[in-house]
Amino acid sequence: MEWLSNQVGPDVARGIGQFIGVNIAFVGVLMIVAYTVLAERRILGFIQGRLGPNRVGPGGLFQPFADLLKFIFKEEITPSSSTRFVYFLAPIIAITAALMPMIVYPFGPTINIPFVGAVSLVIARFDIALLYVLGITSVGVYGIALAGWSSNSKYSLMGGLRAAAQMISYELSLGLSLIGVVLMSGTLDLYSIVEQQGGWYGLRWNLFRPDGFPQVIGFITYLISAIAETNRVPFDLPEAETELVAGFHTEYSALKFALFFMAEYVNMFTVSMLAATLFLGGWQGPFVDVFPLLGIVYFLGKVTFFLFLYIWLRGTLPRFRFDQLMNFGWKFLLPVAILNVILTATAMFLRM
Amino acid sequence: MIPASLVLFILFGGLAVGCAVAMVTQRNPLYSAISLVGVFVALACLYLTLAAPFIAAVQVIVYAGAIMVLVVFVIMLLNVDEEVRRPLRLQYLIPVGVGLAAVLVAEAAFMLTLGAGTDPTVMPSGPGTGDVGSTTSIGTGLFTEYLLPFEVTSVLILMALVGAITLARRASDAGRLSPEDFAAGPRLATAPAAPGIIQPGHTDITGQAMAEYQIATGEAAAPSPGKPRDEEGL
Repeated sequence: MEWLSNQVGPDVARGIGQFIGVNIAFVGVLMIVAYTVLAERRILGFIQGRLGPNRVGPGGLFQPFADLLKFIFKEEITPSSSTRFVYFLAPIIAITAALMPMIVYPFGPTINIPFVGAVSLVIARFDIALLYVLGITSVGVYGIALAGWSSNSKYSLMGGLRAAAQMISYELSLGLSLIGVVLMSGTLDLYSIVEQQGGWYGLRWNLFRPDGFPQVIGFITYLISAIAETNRVPFDLPEAETELVAGFHTEYSALKFALFFMAEYVNMFTVSMLAATLFLGGWQGPFVDVFPLLGIVYFLGKVTFFLFLYIWLRGTLPRFRFDQLMNFGWKFLLPVAILNVILTATAMFLRM
Repeated sequence: MIPASLVLFILFGGLAVGCAVAMVTQRNPLYSAISLVGVFVALACLYLTLAAPFIAAVQVIVYAGAIMVLVVFVIMLLNVDEEVRRPLRLQYLIPVGVGLAAVLVAEAAFMLTLGAGTDPTVMPSGPGTGDVGSTTSIGTGLFTEYLLPFEVTSVLILMALVGAITLARRASDAGRLSPEDFAAGPRLATAPAAPGIIQPGHTDITGQAMAEYQIATGEAAAPSPGKPRDEEGL
């Protein structure tokens, strides 16, 4: 890094570093996403007492690549009366909005790489990282809503409408359940929030941090609204296959469908990363200060736990009805999230 | 060499203006809404280049992420058709608009030439010029110095919300039948009892009720006594 910045100046060197970081992060995340799909199919198979895909490669390990090839070689079908421009724009918005938050998450502490020097494992650090994540997530609604509208199909339109209503409803409780953590940390920069959770051998997580208020309520409300925000079971009404065929992506085929599919799993991954970063201490854990590389393992381990939770819930819970969904979001989750904000603020005021 | 900030300003400013023009000229309401989202995103990028990251993020979250989603939702729900171009009725307003636009441009040009003479570093600005746009300074300002205006604004918004809900309720109650409607008479309630539920498609029943209502209010003449038209073979 120092050698590079001596050659071309610090700004260009930082730009090159970020470029490499973005590539590693995106490719890595897409690989993890591909294997999340495989893991989901295998675990669901286990839950339902069957095998799941196990033919391609040892134990089905190459199944994601087979799936990808299948998606690429499928026929592209565009509904004849669709709104062309929006129909093509929608999957692009969905996948872009899903991938963009990736750059602010700290994947690990600053590590020393031989011949390169100290490298901090976060692509971009800025003051409003958390707001950036929320903003990009809120734009992601357009991908689904516009897909539903432009397909010119009743099932798609119903799915798009449901998605829009559900996502703006649960966005509120999602944002409010994060406020407790922000109050305790006093910053929106994710890297600083993770750094503050060090101590107690790296277990002084916001989930049970004694100064301030343990964010148990905030964690649970965040988890529920995150599942609703990513349209997963039991909140998968936008694509409820028993009522809407496939919801907003009924009319999408081949790679455009694959983009929506990937966007859903990338969204799962990012909300899991946010949960791990804000509530479970990110890369903090025992012995991270001795072996910094352990930080990556801890972080990805926590994220994997959340991904497993998602799959587990999908194998266990039935789907909500739409009125139940709305009542639950507005009349239960939102007041509880507000209560958490008030409790945290009171606790912090009393300790001042 | 052109400074990077100027390049970014031209890029995002041009994007904002282009999207705004597209918003006005599009005939499909959903395309207009998408263009408006583009305007908001471009504006947020402009705020970022002006070192106001908090405003940029809030712009995206509130306008692009919440309000415009509602607009898109309503357009999708109502399935609004493409608007039909009609000849302009208020022709005389066009020169007025052109005149006002000219005044605005002249005003902006005047301000710019006025600003060009002075040193831009002594432009009037609040204390702590370095981090005016940062989250910390905005939060501190809102909850200390500007607490009263902040709270008054939130009460105002709450009042607007309650007002909107009240208006919407009254409008929806008007479509429903209440005991007074049965007492007062002329509406759907006076239609002859039909088997099942009266649907908007049941034109014979609704039409009959409408005719009775119009006769009662004097908007239409009562049918002349004689043979009903159906029996004449029409």
